[in-house]
Amino acid sequence: MKKRAVAVALLTAATVALTGCATSGSTDGTTAADACAPSTGKVDLTFTTWIPGMEETVAIWNKANPDIQVKVQTGPNGNGGTYQNFFNQLKAGNAPDLGQIEYDALPNFRVQDGLTNLAACDGVLDAKSDFVDWTWGQVNFGEDKSVYAIPQDAGPMAMFYRADLFKANNIAIPTTWDEFATAAEQVRATGGYITNFSQSDINQFAGFVWQAGGTWFKNDGDKWTVDLTDPTTTKVAAYWQDLIDRDLVSTNPPWTDEWNNAYNTGSDWTWNSAAWGANSIASGAPDTAGQWAVAQSPQWNAGDKASGNWGGSSTAVFKGSKHPYEAAKFALWLNTSDESLTMLNKTANLYPAAKSGLELPALKAGVPFYGDQAIYDEFAIASAQVSPDFIWGPTMTQTYNDVSDGFKAAVSGKGTLEEALKVGQTNTIAAMSAQSIPVNK
Amino acid sequence: MSASAALSTDAQGSAARTSRLRKPRVQKVRVAHKGAILAFVLPFGVLFGLFYLVPIGYAIYESLLVIKREGTFGAATEVFGGFTQYVLVFQNGPFWQSIGRVLMFGVVQVPIMLGLALLFALLLDSPLLRGKRFFRLAFFVPYAVPGVIAAIMWGYLYSPNLSPFSAVTENINFLSADLVLWAIANVVTWVYVGYNMLIIYSALLAIPTELYEAARLDGAGQLRIAWSVKIPLIMPAIVLTAIFSIIGTLQLLAEPQVFRSFSSAVTSTFTPNLTVYTTSSIPNVNLAAAFSVVLAVATFILSFTFLKFTQRKEAK
Repeated sequence: MKKRAVAVALLTAATVALTGCATSGSTDGTTAADACAPSTGKVDLTFTTWIPGMEETVAIWNKANPDIQVKVQTGPNGNGGTYQNFFNQLKAGNAPDLGQIEYDALPNFRVQDGLTNLAACDGVLDAKSDFVDWTWGQVNFGEDKSVYAIPQDAGPMAMFYRADLFKANNIAIPTTWDEFATAAEQVRATGGYITNFSQSDINQFAGFVWQAGGTWFKNDGDKWTVDLTDPTTTKVAAYWQDLIDRDLVSTNPPWTDEWNNAYNTGSDWTWNSAAWGANSIASGAPDTAGQWAVAQSPQWNAGDKASGNWGGSSTAVFKGSKHPYEAAKFALWLNTSDESLTMLNKTANLYPAAKSGLELPALKAGVPFYGDQAIYDEFAIASAQVSPDFIWGPTMTQTYNDVSDGFKAAVSGKGTLEEALKVGQTNTIAAMSAQSIPVNK
Repeated sequence: MSASAALSTDAQGSAARTSRLRKPRVQKVRVAHKGAILAFVLPFGVLFGLFYLVPIGYAIYESLLVIKREGTFGAATEVFGGFTQYVLVFQNGPFWQSIGRVLMFGVVQVPIMLGLALLFALLLDSPLLRGKRFFRLAFFVPYAVPGVIAAIMWGYLYSPNLSPFSAVTENINFLSADLVLWAIANVVTWVYVGYNMLIIYSALLAIPTELYEAARLDGAGQLRIAWSVKIPLIMPAIVLTAIFSIIGTLQLLAEPQVFRSFSSAVTSTFTPNLTVYTTSSIPNVNLAAAFSVVLAVATFILSFTFLKFTQRKEAK
């Protein structure tokens, strides 16, 4: 009996192997734009996203476009599981038409051949001038005739701070990272922490490196270069390592209730974060309403004007969508129309990547949670200071996981941030080699 | 094909052997049975094939492929790579560390959990305990809580600042690198003790009461009956729960995955299954498939060795 079972198993395996071979041979190169013709009749599109309140924005579109109906599916944020679903769906051939993809994940999806090049779709190439320059650079990968997604929002970074606590304790608002370290000591003396160091969301650290002028990846067309240990990154890592060593920053895992609680109870005083972070604080620390304000991020040299970027995402059309024309049309409306951008800002504090969006009345008004400060004016300044040169690698999920494993160890007192970046460097090169992605070793 | 052909020759062979006695009738009955057997086995067979054999076959197939591409954004093609992925598996330090970690986990947690399950089952079965129905339900209730929910709940209980027992958790950090494995062990034990208890308890109920009577006549007390009559008789049930637990330990995923967001000490390669999950999210499905196959083989060897070991002991 046992032998027979083995025979059956082998036979099944062989059949699977054969059918597998038959289906997997059809991948083709995508340097040219994909065909993009309108469909006839009523079109139904699916759109997977994690942006809160996206349903309300899409409802505006559905009402105005009875022939192109969009159905919203929601999931966890990208690295929280939605990207993995996308990759699985792409492999299975049942991906949604449209998906929310952060800029840092676009190279990963392109390398897995998951994105439709929308350059041939109506109005897409012309939309270039509608968007803030660096965001367009993220979706066209520096190629004139390519558009792999439509930019949605940006995450220019500034410093949220507890205006009341700084004032009550007579501590000056830091404008340089040196002053920030000094202020950290003063805040610690009162029993609080100046900020929380993000141990598992590596995007914040990437934003710090971006501000300092570092880059982690280069792509010369033939080969990738990975550089997680360049002098700039090492300088930023050493700075935060020092604050961690001296117990001047808290290290609650980000996006947990523990983390919310530290802000809600006034234990953590500042947060260097992106425009969309305004939403995170307001929902995570409701008891501190009215006490917050926003200032430019501290600079490495007094008088510098540099900002980093944390997150921001795009709307991509997946390979295999039968209606790229309609999907591109919707994506352009979603990310450039005043009505859509106003609603997305209202429901999710998204900071538009479209230039026209920066002039929206909603982005000029004072925000009650921030003491009626017109906080988006600060983010507008920051947005103009974001360097366009920062490039993401093609295996960011892996890079984040490896660096995060090391950062977690570092905040627990085992190893340093610098060592974590070294491991991240080695593992990223290995992960790229494992998929035959050409990389300098 | 070959299997069913073998089956029919087998049937013919046995039919030929019996044909000398009552030829026509026996053959008719045999055919009727075959149809019935097929009808009963088919639903299982189809599902077993579709959701067990085919996925395993597909995983093995994927694990033998490597990806080739030209240029920084070139399209990927999967080509046969032999055992390339398996070489990477055996060179992967974090994967083997994670296996070591769950083995250590299993060596400590499984005996504690099964010890408690056995103790509770014996207590439920003893005539000394009152309120049996209540306790049987109370012990079993944690198993009805989904594993992820249980992990989140315990995560909050362990949390240094938010825990209702913060007087304890502020001083002892259960989520630290030294303790988090045992914090997870506690969650797993809490969830599965009741389940294992029920398996052992139902084995106890199957023991004929005459044996207890005989033992009592021989002067055995309750403790002596438990030790010398009950435990030896329910040994097969205990072995069964032990094998389930060993498999469960090697496949730990939900609890560490939930604890990853609470604790600095749970890495993306904390358990073997978490390593598989992390690798597949790169996405590097070929390497993830090779990890899975190696893990499956390791699980099989471990459970099989345990079974052989206990059977040999019983034979003695």
